[in-house]
Amino acid sequence: MDWSWIPSNSGQILQLTGENAYLGIVPALIGLVIALPLGIAAARWNWFYPPTLTVLNIIYAIPSLALFIALIPAFGLTDTNVVIALTLYSLCVITPNVVAGLRAVPAAARQAATAMGYGPARRLLTVELPLAVPVIIAGLRVAVVSGISLASIGQLIGVSQLGYLFIDGLQRSFPTEVYVGLVLIIALAIVCDLLLVGVRRILTPWEAR
Amino acid sequence: MITFERVTKRYADGTVAVDALDLEVPAGKTMVLVGPSGCGKTTSLRMINRLVEPTEGRILVDGRDALRQDPVKLRRGIGYVIQQTGLFPHRTIEDNVATVPLLLGARRAAARGRARELLELVGLDPALGRRYPRQLSGGQQQRVGVARALAADPPVLLMDEPFSAVDPVVRASLQDELIRLQTELRKTVVLVTHDVEEAIKVGDQVALYRPHGTLAQVGEPEDLLGAPADDYVRDFVGFDRGIRRLSFFGTGDLDLDTSPVLAGDATVADAVSTGAPWVLVTADGGRPTGWVPRHRLDAAGSATALRDLAADHCEHTFTAGTDSLRAALDAAVLSPAGQAVAVDGAGKTAGVLGYEQIRAAIAARAADGARGKDR
Ligand SMILES: Nc1ncnc2c1ncn2[C@@H]1O[C@H](COP(=O)(O)OP(=O)(O)OP(=O)(O)O)[C@@H](O)[C@H]1O
Ligand SMILES: [Mg+2]
Repeated sequence: MDWSWIPSNSGQILQLTGENAYLGIVPALIGLVIALPLGIAAARWNWFYPPTLTVLNIIYAIPSLALFIALIPAFGLTDTNVVIALTLYSLCVITPNVVAGLRAVPAAARQAATAMGYGPARRLLTVELPLAVPVIIAGLRVAVVSGISLASIGQLIGVSQLGYLFIDGLQRSFPTEVYVGLVLIIALAIVCDLLLVGVRRILTPWEAR
Repeated sequence: MITFERVTKRYADGTVAVDALDLEVPAGKTMVLVGPSGCGKTTSLRMINRLVEPTEGRILVDGRDALRQDPVKLRRGIGYVIQQTGLFPHRTIEDNVATVPLLLGARRAAARGRARELLELVGLDPALGRRYPRQLSGGQQQRVGVARALAADPPVLLMDEPFSAVDPVVRASLQDELIRLQTELRKTVVLVTHDVEEAIKVGDQVALYRPHGTLAQVGEPEDLLGAPADDYVRDFVGFDRGIRRLSFFGTGDLDLDTSPVLAGDATVADAVSTGAPWVLVTADGGRPTGWVPRHRLDAAGSATALRDLAADHCEHTFTAGTDSLRAALDAAVLSPAGQAVAVDGAGKTAGVLGYEQIRAAIAARAADGARGKDR
């Protein structure tokens, strides 16, 4: 372990960390935005869910490297390529949670809302979605954490983030770089996860602590 | 007023849950739907606010065909209370209660103020308003459910087994609360239960269902107990319906016996001269303190004051005029002397009542009841 390497490369380390955070968080958020309508539709029309789930599982089964390569003809060796691939993965993780969250809304609360004169849209927005928030955020947490770690494979198509430190450290037989990359990826994942726990707490003050 | 006109509900799988139901719920009264599990009570109730759509027939709510109204508007004028409460876990108690007023466009501050009033109305501390539903007991949640249903002051209230998830003591107090509220608010209430006892207690009218969604008998609770239409009704209202029926017999004009009632400063000689097998001793100008049997009198000196003798308890009394004959009989059964002690509103002894007098009173009232029917 060569500690002095860290301060002398802090600029680069910081930039790579920022890029890694971007590649972890942005696809998860885009995934959330797409997963919400998809999950709502799947929760509402039962027939719609099994085919959706099958498609998502097939996408999830595609090895990430293969997916990056498959997207090259359209998007080249770019960030966009990685963002799209990771968005697809996060979609696979978040959609089932949206469905599970909506299905876990107590039937009595849903029925009471209808009986009090809530139309379907208002009921969805003000009763069902708020009650599904904890389960949806649980899915988002998995998506963000796995996105942060999956992003390193983007290095293989030349998109830089902390994964760069692994490849570079390997090529130069310089383990310090590998360790730093590993620790930072884990630290980044933990920080993002804790942030999401905080968001959930703010959004769900009614939950038992 | 709510009117069912030959209403049938056939579910998609072919189950006939309600079969050509004709029923009239008078305005301002409590109609209880009671019957065995699966007989169609909940289905009947939910057709009123169109959570379930009838297959055939008409339902009129205050003279207007429910099926021709916008369901959302219809529902905002009908309170709905269910066993599982259906409170919104993510909203405070106050905001839960304020739900319908807010839907109807009330301002939040006004709606919350009204919510606190309603919490008081249903017997809850308004300070609970800031809590979330999971922080309340089951009985408290039930009360909140009732408050929420009343919030927009709807003329109609539908209740599906509202009290069956709580213990018997809480249930009894919730039932009393409902009866009290009804004397104040005079809503048209339809309440579903499978508990005959509850039906008889809270119902102005009771509709007893047979399996498969037809009615066996509709009438006042007394009618079901006193004049069951057939064996099905007789079995359903239960083997002790005779005793329960006594709840409807008053105690206002009973011939109370005052001869064995003596003040504590009376002597044993006074007591013996009554010839009664038991004497009731009173204090403070009439409050009953205990029963003394004849043999204990015989063993004491004739000049002894009664208050100095050991007495058996007389803690189970009934209030003449307010309590029913059932309470009088209960007091007699629990009394060591086999006689019920009647007190007035102030707790002073009005007299005592033996089994023979109770029997005579029951016979007289049953005969009155039967004549009442004939007329
Ligand atoms: N959505 C449904 N689809 C098919 N059948 C149903 C449906 N809901 C109720 N039923 C059937 O209709 C009948 C009446 O049901 P309902 O819920 O009205 O009974 P209930 O009198 O309220 O019974 P309980 O006292 O058990 O609540 C039952 O046989 C029930 O199985
Ligand atoms: Mg039911």
